[in-house]
Amino acid sequence: MGGPNSTGRGEDELNHRLQRCRAETGSAGGLAKGRRTALAVAVLTAVGFGGVLRVMARPAQSSADTAPVKSAARKTSTASSSKAVTAPPALSAPVKSYGSSSAPIKMEVFTDYQCPSCRNLFEGTLRPMIADYVASGKVYLVHHDFPLPGHMYGYQAARWLNAAARVGQFQSVEAALYDNQNSWEADGNIEKFITAAVPAADFKRIQKQMVGCEYQGPAGTKPASLRADPQATHGCTLDSYIEEDRALGMKIPVQATPTYVITYKGQKLPAGSGNVSWPILKQFFDSLLSQ
Amino acid sequence: MNAFESSLLWLTNHGYQILLAGLVIAFLVRKPQARRAIVRAFLIFGGIVVGAVFVAAAYGKMKPPAGFAWSPASLRISLAWFAMQVDSYQVLPPRSVNAVAHFLPYFELFLGLWLITGIARRFSALLASLSLCGFMIAITSAYFRGLKIDCGCGVGPAEQVGPDALLRDALKFLLPALLVAIGSFWIRGKGRASESPAPEMVSSSAST
Repeated sequence: MGGPNSTGRGEDELNHRLQRCRAETGSAGGLAKGRRTALAVAVLTAVGFGGVLRVMARPAQSSADTAPVKSAARKTSTASSSKAVTAPPALSAPVKSYGSSSAPIKMEVFTDYQCPSCRNLFEGTLRPMIADYVASGKVYLVHHDFPLPGHMYGYQAARWLNAAARVGQFQSVEAALYDNQNSWEADGNIEKFITAAVPAADFKRIQKQMVGCEYQGPAGTKPASLRADPQATHGCTLDSYIEEDRALGMKIPVQATPTYVITYKGQKLPAGSGNVSWPILKQFFDSLLSQ
Repeated sequence: MNAFESSLLWLTNHGYQILLAGLVIAFLVRKPQARRAIVRAFLIFGGIVVGAVFVAAAYGKMKPPAGFAWSPASLRISLAWFAMQVDSYQVLPPRSVNAVAHFLPYFELFLGLWLITGIARRFSALLASLSLCGFMIAITSAYFRGLKIDCGCGVGPAEQVGPDALLRDALKFLLPALLVAIGSFWIRGKGRASESPAPEMVSSSAST
């Protein structure tokens, strides 16, 4: 069994082991420390990188939504940088025609949307003409407004038509006005037929133009569609187009509606008025085209 | 407007005034022979006036539109344009409109020339009176139905149908035609009466 001499050798061994253990522990700690540091750096790098990626991937819309666009140039640059934004096109003068302007025959019709004869002309004559001779490029049909004083809602209907024409919805609104003439002429509620005839987005653009163009009829004849906008202090901008057409009509002169003026290869024929059936009108066009 | 159109327009606008003046003069003259001579003269003039009305109507319908020269093609255009005017009355169906539009101008031209020549004037004047009655009925019907149409009367400027236009057309066109027709039959009757001798004259000459 060991004595006092054996204990010394044990202590040295123990110390040696301890030293080794410390050394090992120290390096392991150092190693662990390094690993922790590396791990931390890696995590931070990953988080930072991910954050950068997230910021880069965020759409610019949020900046456009928060900051009000005050000029068209800013709108354009904002829109061009993102495919999701489409600025509405600027509104131009109303285009109230059917067919190609290069057609040999041009027919200009002066009408009032509340006039029954004008409706009959449109339904019985112009509709088949549009489907046949306008579609084949023989006739170019142009509409001019000539609302008559005796028709209470004729002017208002013309305003709606011009507003629709400015957004490219002339044909559908004209058809809606004539098709439903008996309904809206009773109470002046034109708006509901316009709503049904055009897409919602276009109707909003039409409606925006009608601010300041509310019906100004005599007292007691307020139509159902009247919505007075207290902020509308300016006059109706659409009236200028109607007055332009009326001035043109007065030169002819238009004494009744419908009145039509036919031009063949630059030669203007005398104005005609009243309803004419499509077979008779077609015969006249054929006689011109056979020249 | 050329000289031919101006003459036609003057005759159609003022001819009835001269006829009415002649009618008054014929009533004032007492001597039968003088009266018959005046009536004959004014019947000749009246035939020319009423004939001019119909020739003017035919000319107005057949004349080519401004910028077009006279040609068979322009005549087709003019008659097709007249068909549109007839159609605006909304009295006839499209097929009948075409028949009327393509027949009426030639009929008017024929009747006008017949009246001007004076051959069988009482029949031509009677036919003219009946035609004008039909025309007045058509435009009166259009007016009372509230149609705003061009009366399409002839050479002069187009005018919208209304009470004034109706009365004016009756005075200028229908009245002269009636006067010529009545006058022609009257003068024919007077002529036959003067040709056949009185019965007492025959018996007195036989007894001597």
